[in-house]
Amino acid sequence: MSKAPRLYSPYDAPMWESIAQGQMKLQRCPDSGVFRYPPGPMCPVSLSMDYEWTPISGKARIISWTVFHRQYLPAYPAPHLVVAVQLEEGPIMVSYMDYSERESIALDAPVRMVYADHPDGYRVPKFTLDR
Amino acid sequence: MTTAALDTNTSQIAAVAGVGHTDWVEDYRRVRNGEKPYDSYGYAALAFKRALEDAGITRDDVDGLIVGPTTAYERMGEILNIDPRWGGQADAVQAVFQAVMAIKSGMAEVVALVYGNDQRSAAVQYGGPQAMGGGSFLSYVYHSPWGLTSQGALYALMFQRYKELRGVTDRDLGQVAVGQRQWANLNPNAIMRGKPLSLDDYLAVKYIAEPLRMNDYCLINDGGVALIVMEASRARRVSSKAVAIHGLGRSDLNHHATSLGPRLMDFYLPAQQQAAEQVYAQAGIGPKDMDALLVYDSFSPHIFFALEGFGYCRPGEAAKFIRDNGIGVGGKLPVNTHGGHLSESYMQGWSHQVEAVRQVRGNLGDRQVQDCRFVQYVSDVAGKAMSIIYGR
Repeated sequence: MSKAPRLYSPYDAPMWESIAQGQMKLQRCPDSGVFRYPPGPMCPVSLSMDYEWTPISGKARIISWTVFHRQYLPAYPAPHLVVAVQLEEGPIMVSYMDYSERESIALDAPVRMVYADHPDGYRVPKFTLDR
Repeated sequence: MTTAALDTNTSQIAAVAGVGHTDWVEDYRRVRNGEKPYDSYGYAALAFKRALEDAGITRDDVDGLIVGPTTAYERMGEILNIDPRWGGQADAVQAVFQAVMAIKSGMAEVVALVYGNDQRSAAVQYGGPQAMGGGSFLSYVYHSPWGLTSQGALYALMFQRYKELRGVTDRDLGQVAVGQRQWANLNPNAIMRGKPLSLDDYLAVKYIAEPLRMNDYCLINDGGVALIVMEASRARRVSSKAVAIHGLGRSDLNHHATSLGPRLMDFYLPAQQQAAEQVYAQAGIGPKDMDALLVYDSFSPHIFFALEGFGYCRPGEAAKFIRDNGIGVGGKLPVNTHGGHLSESYMQGWSHQVEAVRQVRGNLGDRQVQDCRFVQYVSDVAGKAMSIIYGR
């Protein structure tokens, strides 16, 4: 049985649908050009309530990481490598990488988005080093 | 921009006339033994009675009530039988701010601040599938589809980047847990009293969310705290032990909070610096005048960011400051002299207010900071930087 990720606002649903289709999209403000993450009702820069769901490139750089040495969530046995990356489009996004890449990561290392299957039955965007 | 004509002074408007708390050590033992001494309301009620007694006033003197975030306002007021002319609900630091504001505006004169939390016996989850806190801070829950959960892991992410940028080591971070444990060993109310912690002991424990280890995390225990905050001149009349509030400062960073921008890119520094400027201007003193520093320490990295943000050292130099000066027993800057959340009791900032008052009052035995005139409290929970200066 497959479960959807929890939605924290109506704006999360289209994002998760785009992830399911293998091409993550975020809201882009037509006035300021700013991408919103997490998705939300208003552009924090222009205060415009308009947006276009725009594909992102999947290119990003690592800004930090933490390794969980203890299992908290059923989907992620330890060790689990969580990363914070800055997307080429601007927003910071929390995601994860395979633990096998632990020794190769560094601040500012370029990474690219790939899609993985969450055990609950939905797709999640994760990252891998962009060599 | 602010309006010049407003009277913004918060110095010596109010004073803490009484403090009270529950028996953290005994209740920790009992709860681990499967007992449930009280629920959150019971802990709060007991702390309230002790605070009233400490202040030398009666319940009927109270005309303002603030309850902590873990209990319902109305039910707490019903249990304590307080029908105030002003009230609210707030976390520890905001409760003190609100009490000062209420007193300054004449809305209330004797405010009871009451907190109880049965988080251990009630098995409150701070991480995992049932993690709490999402109603207040979306960042606490939003990233769990990727495996990021628990507030400790948020500080792990924050401190990993700081370590990379500043060249800080695990040994540097360990100084916080080790120093606070030294203080806890002088505090009869500290749950970790009698359990000395050396740096080697600290390093020998495995990571939880790297680079944080078990001793970088706060305790989880049941308990309650209460404070009686009164109009300053009245407090001095009723009690020779009243400790004045000399200033308040606050600055929040909400932009990009859920995607962790202020946490990861700024380490909350701009907010801390603004709050520092305000609180020091109010009190007319600065970090060099403080006899002790009390920092909200759900996790040990808070101490690094507080030292830098509030001007005790320059940004990026907290590790060096701690090495050169010392923050534990015998150090030049006593930090979290009760043992803090790491080693005394996790009362979500409330027990720090009690310790500040007691240090300024004096006669704290082995852990008394000599000639303690001013104590600064700092908290940076989720980018809300706030500070209070307590003094004679």
